[in-house]
This record gives sequence, structure tokens and C-alpha cells, in this order.
Amino acid sequence: MAISGPGHCVARADLDEVFRQNYRLVVGVAARVLGSRDEAEDVAQEVFLAFGRTSVPAGQARGWLSLAAAHTALNARRSGRRRASREVVAAGVHDAVGGDVADAVVTLEERSRVRAALASLPRKQAVALVLRHSGLSYNEVAAALDMSAGSVGTTVRRAESALRKELNRHASSH
Amino acid sequence: MRHPTEGVLRRLLDEPSGVAVSDRQHVHDCPACRTDLDGMHQDAALVRACLAGEAAEDLDVAAAWRRLPATAPVTGRTAKARARRPAGLLKRPSVAALAVVLVLGGAGTAAANDWLQIFRTEQIAPVSITTANLIALPDLSAYGELALTADPDVRAVPDAATAEAETGLDVPQVSDLPSGIAGEPVYSVGSKVSGTFTFSAERAARAAAEAGQALPPVPAGLDGSSVRLDAGPGVAQIWTSSTGAPALVVGRAVAPTAFSSGVPFDMVRDYLLSLPGLPDRIAEQLRTFTADGSTLPLPVPADQVTTSSTQVDGVPATLLVTRDRTLAAVVWVDDGVLTVVAGSLDDSEVLSVARDLQ
Repeated sequence: MAISGPGHCVARADLDEVFRQNYRLVVGVAARVLGSRDEAEDVAQEVFLAFGRTSVPAGQARGWLSLAAAHTALNARRSGRRRASREVVAAGVHDAVGGDVADAVVTLEERSRVRAALASLPRKQAVALVLRHSGLSYNEVAAALDMSAGSVGTTVRRAESALRKELNRHASSH
Repeated sequence: MRHPTEGVLRRLLDEPSGVAVSDRQHVHDCPACRTDLDGMHQDAALVRACLAGEAAEDLDVAAAWRRLPATAPVTGRTAKARARRPAGLLKRPSVAALAVVLVLGGAGTAAANDWLQIFRTEQIAPVSITTANLIALPDLSAYGELALTADPDVRAVPDAATAEAETGLDVPQVSDLPSGIAGEPVYSVGSKVSGTFTFSAERAARAAAEAGQALPPVPAGLDGSSVRLDAGPGVAQIWTSSTGAPALVVGRAVAPTAFSSGVPFDMVRDYLLSLPGLPDRIAEQLRTFTADGSTLPLPVPADQVTTSSTQVDGVPATLLVTRDRTLAAVVWVDDGVLTVVAGSLDDSEVLSVARDLQ
């Protein structure tokens, strides 16, 4: 696609329902990349606007939106168009998805370091990692990235291993 | 017994039911695998904690919905709409180039070696393709393999001098910014992107059969042959509005060029035209392309954009304006270099910027 309008006239009839069902997911995906919920909500606006211009079947909306949110957020990080005032990582955050958080206590600096490293990973690894940690199943990640479910584990593992090494590298240099 | 792969172990942490019983049993019985699994568990937990955001439960979804401009009534060019509008994908020439890869990919032809240039962009001519068609384009995988052989690697650079050094392009300078836009732009560069489509007669026949149609006879030499399309490098200067949305984009890129191993472009184009599922209206427009392939089929969503011809410094250019007149762009190709000026502006403003570029 080369050019798109803002979509005032072409919003899809099912946009309302898709928005309500997926808004939290989309913000969650973007927030994992950006570390700021405000900024993630801006990305979500952009993503739903884009979705409103597509004819992606509603049944595929979850994967499409998650993928678009990950790419848009990673692009925002890379392009440097983030606003300095938003460079805040909230203290006392907790994970809405649940899982292993209790096992790992991390510092704000570690969060910031991991997000910076995430943005420099190969794009497929970064996206697979973010989608998986945002609650998408292996099959959903596989479908979104056009890869086999079998290789999702390998890709996610490589990303986690690289991020762990980045943290270790920094820890050992201090 | 062989140890399961890392990927299988990683999945075991998240979705044990997705892992074969034999692998699960192996891990249960294998101290080495269990040690690996523990390490993965710790890494996954660490990363999960680092990426965890604020709780999403208290997000005000209704308020967010009201913020979405697409839900607002059409009231013309309001300040709010102007501020919230995304500037489309024009800020990244490589994305437009990718769309061209997909369009041309359908024309897949030629052998994998001995590339000859069959397509060089000297003019931009709009082809009307609806949004739905654009989304369907990636389904060209039904007719063969589409592979990006080089990623665009778009990244920010600090200034115009760096952008010029990294792309080898002259970065156009904007002499007078339109009213309402101020400050310094962000410079973004993208490296060369390259894609190859390899036509598969077997796959195309299967796709046609599934659509209940017969595949047109495949010309000799076409099966297994490829088209390669190169685009970039490119540079974009982006001025943002106070909300962070792009307000003005001036982009320049080495225009897309296609290569094949000598199958005539007419054959490529005509076979593309004969593939089942290509709407008649687009087929008719494609037929207007010159046999030497000197016209770039720029995909434009016709339901949202109107196009017209104009000139920039004596060079033929295409002016594109969204139907609600909130976004305008002008695109031209001069000596193999594509330049685009786009923004939350009207047509006279983008033309004024384009014609005053230094």
C-alpha cells in the first residue's frame, strides 16, 4: 500500500466490536515495546485507524492488530519520533497477563535496557517475543508471522537468550 | 534418544499440550534437558518481567474509542482530524517499494541467473487498486514464492549530512515550510530493499483449481523463473505536529527497478493479466503500460485517493489527494530517483513545497 487517507468515510461496520474486543491487547503489545501506556495508546489509535481501512476478516483481526501494534511500536522506537516527555517507565508496574512475574524482580534500569535491546533484535525475533509475551498462542504467533508453530519456540528462545545476554553483559561490566 | 530442540523445550514452558508426548516424556527423564528447561524458564521470566507494562484492566476503552477519528462524523478538515491523522506510509519509501514488489511479483518470470533489466522507472502512472485488492496482493504466494532478499533496515540518523553519506542521495532541502509546520525534521534512512518472486506453475494451478478456475496455459520458460525487484536506498525527512503525528514528509529514494533473465516484459505483464482473480478494471489499466516497462504501476487505493497529472520543474508528476482532502502527496521520478512530498496539507501546499525544493 502506498497511500492511505484517514478513513473518515470508510470505517468498517465491525470496527466498534473489533476495537472493544482487542483494544487492551493492542495497547499491551505496544506497551511491552515502548514502556509507556500513554504512548502505547497512541500507537493503538494508529493501528485501529489502519485496520479500519482494511478488509481483513474480523476473525483474523486479533493477529493482524497484534502484528501491526508490534511493528508500529518498534518503528516508533527506531525512528526516534517518541516524545521525550513520554520516556517514563512507571514504577510499581505489574503484569496483566500474569505468569512468572513473581519469579523475577527487575529494576527500572533493567527494563529500560531490555527494551532498548529488544528494538535492536532482528525484527521477526522481536515481534515473536512481544506477541508471545502479550498472550498470543504459538499458533497465533505462527499465523501472524507466516512461520511454522514449531519455529516460534526457537525464535522466542533466541530472543530471550539475546536479551538475557545483554543484561549479563551489562551486569558484568559494572 | 535425541534431545528435543530448543524450540520444543521453549514451547514446553508455555504450551505443553503443543509438544509431542514422546518429547515430554524425554524431558521428564533427561536431567540435561531439565537443566536447559530451567535456564529457559528463568530467562523467560526475566524478560516477561522486564517487558511487563502497567495493568490493562483500568484502560478506558470507551474513551479511547471516542478518540478514534474514524468514528467521528465527517465534518471536513477539522483541527482535530488534522492533528490525529496518520500520514500514511509515504514517510517510508521502502514500504511503497515493497508494494511494488508485490504487484510485480505477480508477473513472475525469467530465470534465476543472468538478470537483465526489464523495468526501469522513468514515469509514475497511477493504477487504481482498491484497498481490498492491496490486501489480497500478498496472496500472490498462491502463484509462487515471494522472498525479500534484503530488509530495508529503516533507521533514524541525526542530520542531512549523515543521511547523504549513508544513502548516496542528495537530501532535498525545503526552503519554506508551510504555515503551521515548524522546527527541524527527523531524518530517516533506509537501505536498499530487494525482493524476488519465483513463479510456480504447480502452485498457480492449485490456486486456480481451488478458485474453481483453470490456470491459463503457462508460456514456455515461465515455470520456476523469477523476477527480482530492487528499490532504495532512500531518505525521508519528517516534520511532526505537536501531537507527534507526521505533518510533512519529504522522501527521496532510488526508484524501483526490476530484473529478469530476458523473458520479454510483455510476456510477464500479459501472463499476470491472465491470472484468475485479477479484476477486469485493473487488467485494462495494466494493459496501458508500455511494452518496455517504463511506467511504474504505483498501487493507490482508488476508493480513498484521487490522482491527477502535474509537473514539478518540468518533470511529469502525479498528484494524489485523499477524497476527504486531508492528505496530499506529489510523486515524481527524475533520472531514476523518486521523490515524494506528502503531508497533512492541501494540494497547492505540497506542490509549493515540491517546486521549491533545493
